[in-house]
Amino acid sequence: MGKVLIKGKNFLGFEIEIKAEDINEIKKELDIVISSSAHFLKNTIVTLKLTEKNKLYANDIIYFLKEKDIDINAVVLANKKGCPTDVPIIETRNMHLLAEREEEQAATFKGNLRNGQTIRVDGDLIVAGNVNSNSYVYATGNIFVLGNLDGIPHAGYGGNNEAVIFAFSMNPPQIRIGDFITRSPEEGVKIRNRSAASSEVAYVNEGNIVISTYEEWLKLKR
Amino acid sequence: MSGKVLTITSGKGGVGKSTSSANLALGLALSGKRVVTIDLDIGLRNLDMILGLENRIVYDVVNIVEKACKINQALIKDKRTENLFLIASAQTRDKSAVTSEQIIGLTNELKKDFDYVILDSPAGIESGFRNAMLPADEIIIVTTPEISAVRDADRVIGILESNDKTQVSLIINRINPTLVRKGDMMSKDDVLQVLSIPLIGVVPEDNNIVSYTNIGEPSVLHKDSNSGAAYKNIVKRILGEDVPFMEITEEKKGFLQSIINFFKE
Repeated sequence: MGKVLIKGKNFLGFEIEIKAEDINEIKKELDIVISSSAHFLKNTIVTLKLTEKNKLYANDIIYFLKEKDIDINAVVLANKKGCPTDVPIIETRNMHLLAEREEEQAATFKGNLRNGQTIRVDGDLIVAGNVNSNSYVYATGNIFVLGNLDGIPHAGYGGNNEAVIFAFSMNPPQIRIGDFITRSPEEGVKIRNRSAASSEVAYVNEGNIVISTYEEWLKLKR
Repeated sequence: MSGKVLTITSGKGGVGKSTSSANLALGLALSGKRVVTIDLDIGLRNLDMILGLENRIVYDVVNIVEKACKINQALIKDKRTENLFLIASAQTRDKSAVTSEQIIGLTNELKKDFDYVILDSPAGIESGFRNAMLPADEIIIVTTPEISAVRDADRVIGILESNDKTQVSLIINRINPTLVRKGDMMSKDDVLQVLSIPLIGVVPEDNNIVSYTNIGEPSVLHKDSNSGAAYKNIVKRILGEDVPFMEITEEKKGFLQSIINFFKE
């Protein structure tokens, strides 16, 4: 016992942390833990925290939970290599970017934003899902996309040039931050290999919108 | 008896809605279910042609909703199976000839007598699409692995979600394994990553579809057709069977390959 834990609300919702290593043991313990708390876990954002040893089972665990009507929005791991899953993966070292927002007001949208849909929020916006082509997200603060960003984001809507846009996989046709706008290069457009993409951040630097990897952006910030 | 209303839609035109409707309707009927399929592409009918029933049309769906005839009079019986009926679309009218309330009323009547009511939706997201989508218990989206078709499908899924239609699944039609291998076509996984709805079938590109349509015999009737085999698997999945997805591979015809195959055997 104690190898499967449901932690209270973090900035995203709930986190299920699994330390057990045997898949049967994991399922057995999940069954016990979930039976008492399943109703909390429905219709909220749930992340799954795995260790290096049990990350192999990510998909098994996700399907197991899905059968019980619990959708996992993202998997949290130390290193995403060797973890086969369709759900977005957040590496633990990337968590604190998001955790910094904990204190502040952040609106959360769970699910995929589809072609033709628009979200507008005051403050920061977290999208736990994909932002698909031809959709629009506007936030007066920062935008965090825990998934693929293919639509058009406008962070700092209304003139906040300090705002940033974060996405696991960034491929928008335009990026708008505060008073600035940029478009993606038109040459070399190919069907991109998503698994090769890494988390990126877009921000304004000396009057230009710049995209860098998350790691580089963190170094600059310090 | 209370049947299910199954709507086939796509957003973009020409991706295989009517072909899929015809194959699934015929496939379900051949599995022993009582099926009626309604062509809701009013003004541009062609489901009757794909099913090979075009010269049997007397009354159509507009005649029914305008009460010019009884439902039974407009049911066209299939020539191959007792279980399949078609309600044809009107050719001299347009989408505005029917309302969604009328279609809901019609499907509610038909549900009493049939296991499956299959609605063939027109392309687009206007009134014709709404008429087809609102009565649905389950919706199947057809797309091809092209960006334009996938984006339109994404738009349609968004509209379905905002209308509380949650039973939505996906057919990826006309996959060409050679193009996928070269990286010129989106793969099954690329499409699923964008649309993220459950997959119910993958149908390979099949050049014979054109001639099947011309002679009015959907591919499920052809034993050696690989698109027909894919549609038969989809029918089984609709009926609740757990059928593994067919691995779609290139046909190898090279000389060296045939020698290798010879020695393998």
